Amino acid sequence: MSVTDIVFILTAVVTVGSAVVVVVSRSLIYSVFSLLFTFFGVAILYVFLGADFLAGAQVLIYVGGILVLLLFGVMLTHRLYNLNLTTERFQPIAGTLIAAAVFASISLAAFKTKWKLVGEKELEPTTQQIGEAFLSSYLLPFEIASVLLLVALIGAAMLVRRRTDV
Amino acid sequence: MNLGNLDSLNFFYPELILLGGILLVVISDISLKGLRVRINPLLTLAALLLALFYTLQTDHGSAMTLFEGMLALDNFALYFKVFLLVAGILVLLGSLHSEELASVHQGEFHALLLAVTLGMLLMANSAHLVMLYLSLELVSLTSYIMVGYLRSDRLSNEASMKYILFGAVSTGAMLYGFSLLYGMTGSLDLFAIRDALLAQEVVGFNQVTLVLVVVLTTAGFGFKTAAVPFHFWCPDVYTGAPTPVTAFLSVAPKAAGFAILVRFFLGGLSQPSGEQWAFISGIDWPLVLIAVSVMTMTLGNIAALTQNNLKRMLAYSSIAHAGYILMGAVLLTGTGLKAMLVYLFVYLFMNLGAFFVVTVIFNSEKTFELQDYNGMFRRSPFLAVAMSIFLLSLIGIPPFAGFLGKLYIFGAVIDQGLYWFALVGALNAAVAAFYYMRVMKHMILENDDRPPTPLRISTLNVALLVLLLVPNILLIVFWSPIDRWTANSITLFGGL
Repeated sequence: MSVTDIVFILTAVVTVGSAVVVVVSRSLIYSVFSLLFTFFGVAILYVFLGADFLAGAQVLIYVGGILVLLLFGVMLTHRLYNLNLTTERFQPIAGTLIAAAVFASISLAAFKTKWKLVGEKELEPTTQQIGEAFLSSYLLPFEIASVLLLVALIGAAMLVRRRTDV
Repeated sequence: MNLGNLDSLNFFYPELILLGGILLVVISDISLKGLRVRINPLLTLAALLLALFYTLQTDHGSAMTLFEGMLALDNFALYFKVFLLVAGILVLLGSLHSEELASVHQGEFHALLLAVTLGMLLMANSAHLVMLYLSLELVSLTSYIMVGYLRSDRLSNEASMKYILFGAVSTGAMLYGFSLLYGMTGSLDLFAIRDALLAQEVVGFNQVTLVLVVVLTTAGFGFKTAAVPFHFWCPDVYTGAPTPVTAFLSVAPKAAGFAILVRFFLGGLSQPSGEQWAFISGIDWPLVLIAVSVMTMTLGNIAALTQNNLKRMLAYSSIAHAGYILMGAVLLTGTGLKAMLVYLFVYLFMNLGAFFVVTVIFNSEKTFELQDYNGMFRRSPFLAVAMSIFLLSLIGIPPFAGFLGKLYIFGAVIDQGLYWFALVGALNAAVAAFYYMRVMKHMILENDDRPPTPLRISTLNVALLVLLLVPNILLIVFWSPIDRWTANSITLFGGL
């Protein structure tokens, strides 16, 4: 077992393990902190796939942006702090069966499908390629994404406006 | 033919106009304090009309792709662009005199309406999984905001929240399906995916994975078209949203959902062979969709039977209609596709009509309950007659336009020899007749003891209802242009 393998297995364990904590933890604040490790783990997995820019963006946006926002949200909303996170309807048997079926089909698909593989590739910086793709073949999605952000901004502005200011 | 980014702009005027419209409305909303109430609807209307004009002007020759293969420009896309722009215009007109929306600031509403229309136009055109996802997300995100537009209304907030949660889950499932497809084919372009699937001849476990892809992506498209079993958000969202928004959701995003469903399944997972489409061997995805179609119409109709809230009833009825429309898509024939387009076209006028009557009655009565519709015929004969025509059209009774839609759909199904499928559809139509007739009975036959006070309707709303009534009554006589238009519109890029 090489060092790479050990690092990979460690990363995978941390990613999946912390994701499990996110789901089962009863305290929202634990969930949010545990999400930190999930995001970092995913970033390292991107590095393993040779996607250096994506890994950087993952850390910057998810860890630096979204997670901090979530933390602020939880900390500033004092009633969320000790909220009891259970639903009224709890169906352990049906839930377990469906989860097992989904897990089985997805993992079978992951292992048994003949994927179209590109083979081993030399590690090279991808930032330039991504930038060029954005301004050539992916120009339209790049621009439409900005419309999506504009709509999100309008929606956010609408939500926070005072009720009297109609 | 594949056009590059700059050449594509020549065929991109409608979308550019809508984009300009969004920015103008946002700017005028901020800068023109006093005038904005008058100017914004006019700006929005002008943008939609201009976009419609340029869409009708588009002369693209043969089918081609734009923006390096991101969008497909073909007659099929043009049909949906016209359809969606007409729906946008009608909903805008219907929202102008709505008491529900009058109580809140409307500037954003118009910008959002333009944005969602832009998203839907792109949805109808998408030929690339990235574009497909992005446009779907643009439509979904805008719809969430529009549903929660009445911020001080609890039902509206709840509806928006439910919509977001369901939307996030089903989009996630769809993306997972896309990722499996990408892993198998190494491509995001729909036509390249099809070629790759055909070249490697899906065998062994890849068949199972492809079934998984079909199921997962159906979750995404089924969410947009409100097909069972992805419909759970629908009744609550339709009830909580402002009625003009509900009318819009029940027609336009649904149609756009069908457009991408057809483009994904027919364009991406099957190949044209003669008059028909043959699906990639190994997976019987039409059977999956037939099952969805049968469940959708049956559950929609049965659940609608017991509803006493008009909005909720129409929500379930729109689920049932999604089932009928899907019947045409799964046949894999030109006639089936054409029947679907005809049905959608008549559905636009009858369903919007029914929702606008509900809006108008809410304006003065502040109620959606069926009991409060008692004696409506004596209070406003025009409204009662208009509603009856829309409902009879929804049932599919001649001489109204809905009959034409049902005729084409059932005809196409019988053409394929799927008699049991046609029978299920016909039985469903019979069940549906019951709850539509019930509304008419309350409006016309049942009277309460109060003396009938005339109902006030604004001139604009009368004009709009007349505008919606005309196609419902006249289409049955002048059906040949529709027949020709839809027959032309079934040419898909990389297809028949």
